[in-house]
Amino acid sequence: MTTQTKQRRKQALLHRTGSYGKGLLFMLPWLIGFCAFVVIPIGWSIFMSFNKVKIVPGGFKYEWLGLQNFRDAFLKDNNFPVDLITYFQEMLLMVPIIVIFALMISLMLNQRFPGRFIYRALFFLPVIFATGQVLSELFVQGAGEVPFIQQYNLETIVDQYVGPELAKTVMNVLEKVILILWYSGVQILIFIAGFQTISPTIYEAVRIDGASPWDSFWKITLPASIPFISLNVLYTIIDLFTFPQNPILKYIKENMIKVDTGYGYASAMAWIYFGFIFILIAVVLWLFERTMRTRRGRS
Amino acid sequence: MNPATILEKVKVQILGLLWNRKSQKVKMIVLGRNLSDGLLAKLIIYALLSIVAYLYLQPLLYMVSTMLKNSVDLNDPTVKWIPRVVTWENMTKALKGMQYPEAIKNTALIALACSAFQVIICAMTGYALARLNVPFKGLITGLVILTFLIPPQVIIIPLYVIYSKLHLLNTIYVFLIPAVFGQGLKAGLFILIFRQFFRAQPISLEEAAKLDGASTARLFFGIMLPLARSACLVVFLFSFIWYWNMYYEPSVFLAKGFTPLSIRLDNLENVLNPSLLGNTHFITDPVTEATKMAAAFMIILPPIVVFMFLQRWFVTGIERTGIVE
Repeated sequence: MTTQTKQRRKQALLHRTGSYGKGLLFMLPWLIGFCAFVVIPIGWSIFMSFNKVKIVPGGFKYEWLGLQNFRDAFLKDNNFPVDLITYFQEMLLMVPIIVIFALMISLMLNQRFPGRFIYRALFFLPVIFATGQVLSELFVQGAGEVPFIQQYNLETIVDQYVGPELAKTVMNVLEKVILILWYSGVQILIFIAGFQTISPTIYEAVRIDGASPWDSFWKITLPASIPFISLNVLYTIIDLFTFPQNPILKYIKENMIKVDTGYGYASAMAWIYFGFIFILIAVVLWLFERTMRTRRGRS
Repeated sequence: MNPATILEKVKVQILGLLWNRKSQKVKMIVLGRNLSDGLLAKLIIYALLSIVAYLYLQPLLYMVSTMLKNSVDLNDPTVKWIPRVVTWENMTKALKGMQYPEAIKNTALIALACSAFQVIICAMTGYALARLNVPFKGLITGLVILTFLIPPQVIIIPLYVIYSKLHLLNTIYVFLIPAVFGQGLKAGLFILIFRQFFRAQPISLEEAAKLDGASTARLFFGIMLPLARSACLVVFLFSFIWYWNMYYEPSVFLAKGFTPLSIRLDNLENVLNPSLLGNTHFITDPVTEATKMAAAFMIILPPIVVFMFLQRWFVTGIERTGIVE
């Protein structure tokens, strides 16, 4: 090897590390923060979930339990599995409601008509206060109910059609349906922004070919918005995950301060919950990935 | 043939044509060339949107109407939406109960300072992930998404212990330090937004700047960050709103003294009725409910005002950032 190539290689290496260095420098704050505020707490929390944690003056006392906490959550605890299943049922109902509602509203808001800026602002408004304490306050007061639930005695109808087991879930969702719909502000924005990426010339072309607006919605708008639908489904799941009225999080928080269960058990439950959500997200991602692939394969 | 019948025929024909044209025109106006052009479609859209908007905003209207009722109207079930006498009593009570000026100062300080840092740090991280050479880029991007997915409840106690060891509890640093290190509220989402934005920009701009001898830092702060104005605005506003409304984290970290509005709304019950302290099974009485509604209204008022001014840029900003691509 000549010295020249050696030198060149050295220079290339230097250049590469230099450019890595710049990238790392830009990432540095995040990397430090990630280690300090994510890795350490997560590791700690996982460690605690395998222990019985007792608070003693000056810190914690750990008692190794292995998987006992996780086993207890399913076998000993009477509330946790029930809450988990109920909330997942509710969630499976709420996610389609939110996404379909957002899709319909954004389709309407995407039309050109005078005053649409006002309407757009109106539908975005809940994003401002749909997080946090104000929402909980409204929930407590039952302000989220739709007036016609009681007027038309919807409860018996729901009972008849879906059976008494699911009726409770459906009614639970219906009772707070407006506040659930408040969670669609961001989704509407994503849809509207997504519609802008579909080129108007396609619509023109199919109109000339004689397609009705109905056809062009099913054949163009909907297939083109599948990525945005998947994005919105994911966003909604993540958003509902930390929903203020979420019974599981409330239960976990209660157990944190209880003496006989403590933080170890609470973090075990939190990790189980996280695991379930993670599976749900993975399933959604896989489904959308598959539809996208078949679509691409066909075209 | 009789000239009269011919005239009659011609008349009918002309009338028919006229009618036809008119009908065409009417049809055009009512139905339109596209689905959305016609008058009918517009009316339907207006009607639907208005109904949904009414249902949507009903809780808000309920809040405002309850807030303005006096104690007589509150206990009278016949008074539903419009109070007989408009009273500001609930408002003044809420102002006093929350110590509004101090609380709003705290909340605004947290929201503004943390959001400003979030914008800069998330933009830097997003830019590095979009354009710079970073080892294990795919893995790091996955970790960024992970930070967005992990619920705060899972890691809150370890964080509490860390902050208390560092003597940071009940100060603004509990939120400011994570924000400076890119771990603020929903920072993962913001990093992804910036990453998407920078990836959508043409690379020729950076190449030109590099040829002119600009350093990476100069390139980023001088060209790319100003270019990302719309993304910055979107991130700043979202971050501001979420910091403004956050409840869970301050309820753990900021228990006393330096508390934001959301915590004080939660404590309002105890402040107003100290005799009922700790009595959780007590039925909410409508008068304190009205005060709470007034308090809730005053919490969301400042962000609504901010949003009204920035709404236009905000919505177009979201469309332009290419978050969705």
